Amino acid sequence: MEHVITGFKTIAPSIPYIINGIWVTLGIALGAAIIGFVLGILLSLCKIGKIKLLSGIARAYTSIFRGTPLIMQLALAYFAIPQLIGLNDVNPTTCAIVTFGLNSGAYMSEIIRSGINAVDKGQFEAASALGVGYWPMMRDIILPQAIKNILPAMMNEFITLTKDSAIVSTIAVTDMMRRSQIVSAEYYMYFPPMFVAFIMYYIVVLILTAVGGRIERRLSRSDQS
Amino acid sequence: MIKAEHVFKDFGSTKVLKDVTLDINKGEVVVIIGPSGSGKSTFLRCINLLEQPTKGNVLIDDQDLVSLKQKQVTKVREKVGMVFQHFHLFPHKTVLDNLIYAPMKVKKLSKDEAVKRAEALLEKVGLLDKKNQYPNKLSGGQKQRVAIARALAMEPEYMLFDEPTSALDPEMVKEVLDVIQSLAESGMTMVIVTHEMGFAKQVANKVVFMDDGRILESNTPAAFFSNPKTDRAKDFLEKIL
Ligand SMILES: Nc1ncnc2c1ncn2[C@@H]1O[C@H](COP(=O)(O)OP(=O)(O)O)[C@@H](O)[C@H]1O
Ligand SMILES: [Mg+2]
Repeated sequence: MEHVITGFKTIAPSIPYIINGIWVTLGIALGAAIIGFVLGILLSLCKIGKIKLLSGIARAYTSIFRGTPLIMQLALAYFAIPQLIGLNDVNPTTCAIVTFGLNSGAYMSEIIRSGINAVDKGQFEAASALGVGYWPMMRDIILPQAIKNILPAMMNEFITLTKDSAIVSTIAVTDMMRRSQIVSAEYYMYFPPMFVAFIMYYIVVLILTAVGGRIERRLSRSDQS
Repeated sequence: MIKAEHVFKDFGSTKVLKDVTLDINKGEVVVIIGPSGSGKSTFLRCINLLEQPTKGNVLIDDQDLVSLKQKQVTKVREKVGMVFQHFHLFPHKTVLDNLIYAPMKVKKLSKDEAVKRAEALLEKVGLLDKKNQYPNKLSGGQKQRVAIARALAMEPEYMLFDEPTSALDPEMVKEVLDVIQSLAESGMTMVIVTHEMGFAKQVANKVVFMDDGRILESNTPAAFFSNPKTDRAKDFLEKIL
């Protein structure tokens, strides 16, 4: 027990370095969530739309991104594809955000699609009967209601992104996970740095969960039907 | 005027409308009655193309709807207001925003104009004091009056009502029927599906009895109610009265 405490004392100067890695982690998750959200809306509209080609593409896209490991997609995007097309210095953080965003788009599109399907059919009819066209109807009437229904699910998706982003450590992004490994190697001591990162991930997820719960409660209180 | 000519509608193998022909003249109030499942809603929805007829034509002011492109459909729909059994107010918008949304978006009215028009309509249906409320704060009768005002805000030439009081508690039926009646008195052309027979007698110029996807009778209310010709209509009236 004593050597564990000594261990924490030894790495103490590096603890802020590890903890600050959470901003890299959250930055990647947020960037990816924004890309994923926009992409998810587009894909979901393609899926529910009447144009067969677009819905086919959207479904294939979703199937591929959900049917392969994220870490594999990341490796493909960072190592394989740049070599194939002769790209030299790919920024790993950008690469991570884009890959996670593309991946998240697939999941978000399913969430958003279920949200749109859950909107009362009467809302489409009422808007149509007023002469409102397809796009304004989607933007102003349907999506706001759909997104409200799925905010909890989207918050979960964001939490998943935050946790899964730890695999960006495999492409040398210095996120919190990577930093715990660097510090481990530096002091040749694994437990204290990894425990710090471990606890920090958990705290952040707890905070995000609490925020999500608050939003959900506020929404259900103002539930309008 | 609205002309429905030999309208058929199938849903897969279910034949819902089987050769429905009906004229609705300007200023006329046509009440459609008939047992549940007889195709009344489907027929109304064919008039503003919420459903596409499988066969036949719907003409509004001599414009054939069935052959129109999507953009023109939207244009024609501006002329035809619809009120639904379950209101379908936009839950994320206030009462006022429910009323000004389509006039601004579709008719490109300025916000000031739209608000002015909306407030006048809310005044007319007795709900001006609710303009900043969200729909979930309203009673059923109030919701339906807002829904009527929302349709009127587009200044339609025709109004379709699909069982506007069927989802209401009994004590709220009258406030909604009163609004519809005053609309009838103002000369609005209307097609109303309802089970309120007293109301039908009062406001209708013509009563249409539908059964099993067909129009079996079409007559003045006085003639229809006192002297229905078909057994189906007699049965139906006996059950409902
Ligand atoms: N979208 C639909 N798909 C399949 N069947 C439908 C659909 N809409 C209506 N129907 C069927 O058409 C018949 C007539 O329905 P409807 O027009 O709603 O009758 P009413 O309004 O007179 O009660 C019913 O049997 C109903 O089940
Ligand atoms: Mg009906």
